[in-house]
Amino acid sequence: MKFQIEDVTVYFPYDHIYPEQYSYMIELKRALDAKGHCLLEMPTGTGKTIALLSLITSYSLSKPQSPIKLIYCTRTVHEMEKTLAELKLLHNYQIKHLGPQARILAIGLSSRKNLCVNPTVLAAENRDSVDAGCRKLTASWVRAMAAENPNVPTCQFFENYEKAASAAVLPPGVYTLQDLRAFGKEKGWCPYFLARHMVQFANVVVYSYQYLLDPKVAGIISKEMQKESVVVFDEAHNIDNVCIEALSVSVRRQTLEGATRNLNRISQEIDSRKNLFHKLGPKPTYAVGLFHGRFKATDASRLRSEYNRLVEGLALRGNLPITDTWLSNPALPDDILKEAVPGNIRRAEHFLHVLRRLVQYLRGRLETDNVEKESPVGFVASISSHAGIDQKTLKFCYDRLHSLMLTLEITDTDEFLHIQTICDFATLIGTYARGFSIIIEPFDERMPHIPDPVLQLSCHDASLAIKPVFDRFQSVVITSGTLSPIDLYPRLLNFHPVVSRSFTMSLTRDCICPMVLTRGSDQLPVSTKFDMRSDPGVVRNYGKLLLEMVSVVPDGIVCFFVSYSYMDGIINTWNDSGILKEIMQHKLVFIETQDVVETTLALDNYRRACDCGRGAVFFSVARGKVAEGIDFDRHYGRLVIMFGVPFQYTLSKILLARLEYLRDTFQIKEGDFLTFDALRQAAQCVGRVIRSKADYGMMIFADKRYSRHDKRSKLPSWILSHLRDANLNLSTDMALHIAREFLRKMAQPYDKTGGSDRKTLLSQEDLEKMGDGSVHEMLY
Amino acid sequence: MNNGGARRMNGGGEEDDDEDYVNGDLDAWERTYTDERSWESLQEDESGLLRPIDNKALYHSQYRRRLRSLSSTATAARIQKGLIRYLYLVIDLSRAASETDFRPSRIVVIAKHVEAFIREFFDQNPLSQVGLLTIKDGVAQCLTDLGGSPESHIKALMNKLECSGDSSLQNALDLVDGYLNQIPSYGHREVLILYAALSTCDPGDIMETIQKCKKSKIRCSVIGLAAEMFICKHLCQETGGTYSVALDESHFKELILEHAPPPPAIAEFATANLIKMGFPQRAAEGSISICSCHKEAKVGAGYTCPRCKARVCELPTECRICGLTLVSSPHLARSYHHLFPIAPFDEVPPFSLNDPNHKLQRNCFGCQQSLLNPGNKPGLLVVCPKCKGYFCLDCDIYIHESLHNCPGCDSFRHSKADKE
Repeated sequence: MKFQIEDVTVYFPYDHIYPEQYSYMIELKRALDAKGHCLLEMPTGTGKTIALLSLITSYSLSKPQSPIKLIYCTRTVHEMEKTLAELKLLHNYQIKHLGPQARILAIGLSSRKNLCVNPTVLAAENRDSVDAGCRKLTASWVRAMAAENPNVPTCQFFENYEKAASAAVLPPGVYTLQDLRAFGKEKGWCPYFLARHMVQFANVVVYSYQYLLDPKVAGIISKEMQKESVVVFDEAHNIDNVCIEALSVSVRRQTLEGATRNLNRISQEIDSRKNLFHKLGPKPTYAVGLFHGRFKATDASRLRSEYNRLVEGLALRGNLPITDTWLSNPALPDDILKEAVPGNIRRAEHFLHVLRRLVQYLRGRLETDNVEKESPVGFVASISSHAGIDQKTLKFCYDRLHSLMLTLEITDTDEFLHIQTICDFATLIGTYARGFSIIIEPFDERMPHIPDPVLQLSCHDASLAIKPVFDRFQSVVITSGTLSPIDLYPRLLNFHPVVSRSFTMSLTRDCICPMVLTRGSDQLPVSTKFDMRSDPGVVRNYGKLLLEMVSVVPDGIVCFFVSYSYMDGIINTWNDSGILKEIMQHKLVFIETQDVVETTLALDNYRRACDCGRGAVFFSVARGKVAEGIDFDRHYGRLVIMFGVPFQYTLSKILLARLEYLRDTFQIKEGDFLTFDALRQAAQCVGRVIRSKADYGMMIFADKRYSRHDKRSKLPSWILSHLRDANLNLSTDMALHIAREFLRKMAQPYDKTGGSDRKTLLSQEDLEKMGDGSVHEMLY
Repeated sequence: MNNGGARRMNGGGEEDDDEDYVNGDLDAWERTYTDERSWESLQEDESGLLRPIDNKALYHSQYRRRLRSLSSTATAARIQKGLIRYLYLVIDLSRAASETDFRPSRIVVIAKHVEAFIREFFDQNPLSQVGLLTIKDGVAQCLTDLGGSPESHIKALMNKLECSGDSSLQNALDLVDGYLNQIPSYGHREVLILYAALSTCDPGDIMETIQKCKKSKIRCSVIGLAAEMFICKHLCQETGGTYSVALDESHFKELILEHAPPPPAIAEFATANLIKMGFPQRAAEGSISICSCHKEAKVGAGYTCPRCKARVCELPTECRICGLTLVSSPHLARSYHHLFPIAPFDEVPPFSLNDPNHKLQRNCFGCQQSLLNPGNKPGLLVVCPKCKGYFCLDCDIYIHESLHNCPGCDSFRHSKADKE
């Protein structure tokens, strides 16, 4: 269908549109007009993605004089593929109606692991080794060697791509990762480098958050994006955590040991350059074969030319061939590139000495028996006095290491992750004086008898990582199914949205049934509050609740617990008291563990059990992998039980430091932030079961604290609007009764378009008939 | 119950609580939740006020909806229907069937309505046969073989109503598939599963079994008693059956009776076929003979197979000796109406009664009762689209469900013929 929003003709690939999608588009259009940032909350299953894509592409089509670029950030590769598939549909529709002038180029960009087509490289198991494998074949010096010596392996796809040079372009169209691979195979060009090249020219780019938020990556990939871009962060309810993680580093004993090994190897490399004749001595630690081409007189001169480059400043690095760049500066991109590297680390040996001293110092700091907390300023001062490294030197560590590794022509970068972490850490503490703190813990608090010292540099200010994005791009759209309370995000990320709105879902029937369960069947309150959680009564009541529910709910049930340790404890108790066995009579039980492979297997079997009618329960943890990325739609999740309020571990030193920072800097109260964070996790968990309007599911919040207004009111409005007063303070048996009624009601056939009084699907005529006003009336 | 409450009030002690849980007993106040469900029949309107319950209008509107849905498929395209049906009724006797959310328990309700269904079924499909299967302890068992006698089925079922163990859909389907594969190709193979459980505990891959059923053209329908299950929905979708879930007892009755009229035939299966049938004569009263079905000597009241002269007790059936299908002509005639259903009557808005044109039609054409409610207020009534005769609601139901002829149309046709 085709309709008009103010001056923009919107092309929408479906015959009908939900009213909330329509008003979502109106708000989005206003934000684009104002060239400002916006914050939009709309429940999942209402077609956010297609509404976004269709409006932004239509907007850009209707203003051909100033085309805008769309940068769409997703969390997972799976979501990326889904988005591109939707876009393809939309694109075909637009071409059908507008002809060739609607042509756009849209690509997805992912890591080498997902894009590589070279079978030998792909054989590696993880991302880092695929990257390293690729570099081994495509680094400029390897290729130069191959030119002389045909025995040196190179990547055929990359060679072809280089040969095609500027002719290597993608014709307009929408390319999913799959399409890119197919195209690359057909043409014999490397899809990864082709995609990276085409990013500058594409109208729509879909990639992961990291490409924009993590300054290490952003510098390479997203450097050349134009200002007239719209950046969309989809499923952005955790965006503050992503920002913080991008700038946080933790150093353990293993890291330091690895770093020492790395340093030894680098110094061997350097020595070998210096003394050509000693080089051929026994050096069994690495593959000599790879490096045999480099024993030439040019080696010494290369180190010298590097020195000169460093004098001129690091910015020159931009001239390096595309394959050689791998990680850029973790600091803000334009912060330090213009300065020259300080003199004391320009020579490779000197730099190595600095790093050795730094590692030595950190090792000394880890040998502590007490928890220590320090600010970056104090830490830098202490490094300066103990190890003799000043702040400016620290700041340049990352770039200097990068440059050194290029010079030494090290291709197996995955081996060098430890020393990279150390340099990353050094640069961050050298760069930022505020918003960070350094916490050294000699052991994990939950297991005080096992020494596991860890030094953490934790970022408290989410706005640091995202600031360049807000500054650089014209519009940034942050959207998700759960952004409540919507006024907190601008404060956390420190920006001023021109539009911030929350939309509810228009439903043909009441297909979600949230309940707050406060009491067990014996009328005693249930809660995971610290003083109550190990009470046998509470544990038994929770078990009873689940036991009753498995007998009335068909197919899949998902349970979320507040933490792994709590889940382990409660399942043990249930096992001892025989509750687990009784549950197994009705449904199979699957448990999420911290092991990804195990969990994937469990999920797979869970789905099979749901499919074949056996029924299954999945025990999972809020904030775990499952809670974030896995959907339990349709029969895979008819009921989700949230056992307790998923507060963060409040005794964690990092959390305390962050809370303190938030209070001092943004005037956000500790309690407010904790509740907000817990409730968004809870909403995220229960939102897993509803993925479309035709779906239905129940949600039980099993904790007495949910009945309090301050907690409950922080849930997203699409849940709150279905949370009737009668369902606020239930005991197990009442909940059971409601569940029975609900499931029976939902099993009845229903009219999908909604009755005349509750219009939930709008056709083109409907939209033409009504002005903007009536839509608003309908929704609010 | 009061005693239990009093004990609790007096502080019966925490230990008792625990013991109760161990025994799986319910507390007194819990029992009140599960026993008395007076609130369920209450209905609220939007503002939370209680709404008066108008049963008759409600019942009639439900009936009309059902009629419409049936006739919309039947009359419009005159769809071929399977009149000779071989239906297996699978009754879930697993643990879940003993639950008490239906009063007094699911299984009693099921049994009650299965009895009604079987009678209704043979009334509507005299040429068809029914067999009973139960699922219990994860195993499917054949209770009665395919047969045309309602009494024997009902008797067999009533003796076996204990529920226990898990339920297995796959076992039931396998068993049914084995039986139904043997029946002749002109018969329509159907399964109606009354499923109380919410899970199925299967020995193998149920998807394969479903495909097998699909291949052997068995139409599987399921009536659930608790909630929608994916696998049941899948089964019905694949095999062309219907899936429904009962809200309460009356809804369950409605749903199960929906399966009594013959469903549309599966297209590729519906080839015209000649079937050899025998029309046996009723034996003389008082003659003594050994019947072939029960192997007993009986006095009178039997039929004789026209081909092999064997004695059978009831019709319709298959001759035990020569395998001939034995029916009586009224059976055939009774099946006939499904092919030519009478059109549903239109509802008349009450105010048109006051029209001078309609003054004469104050009585129902069928029963001659006054169409006006006490107090001279016009009640609900319907009109036949062909003969324009007015009928009351009771006659409407009677005509469509039992009579299958419109008295108006028939008498007008006769009077016309007289004139000519």
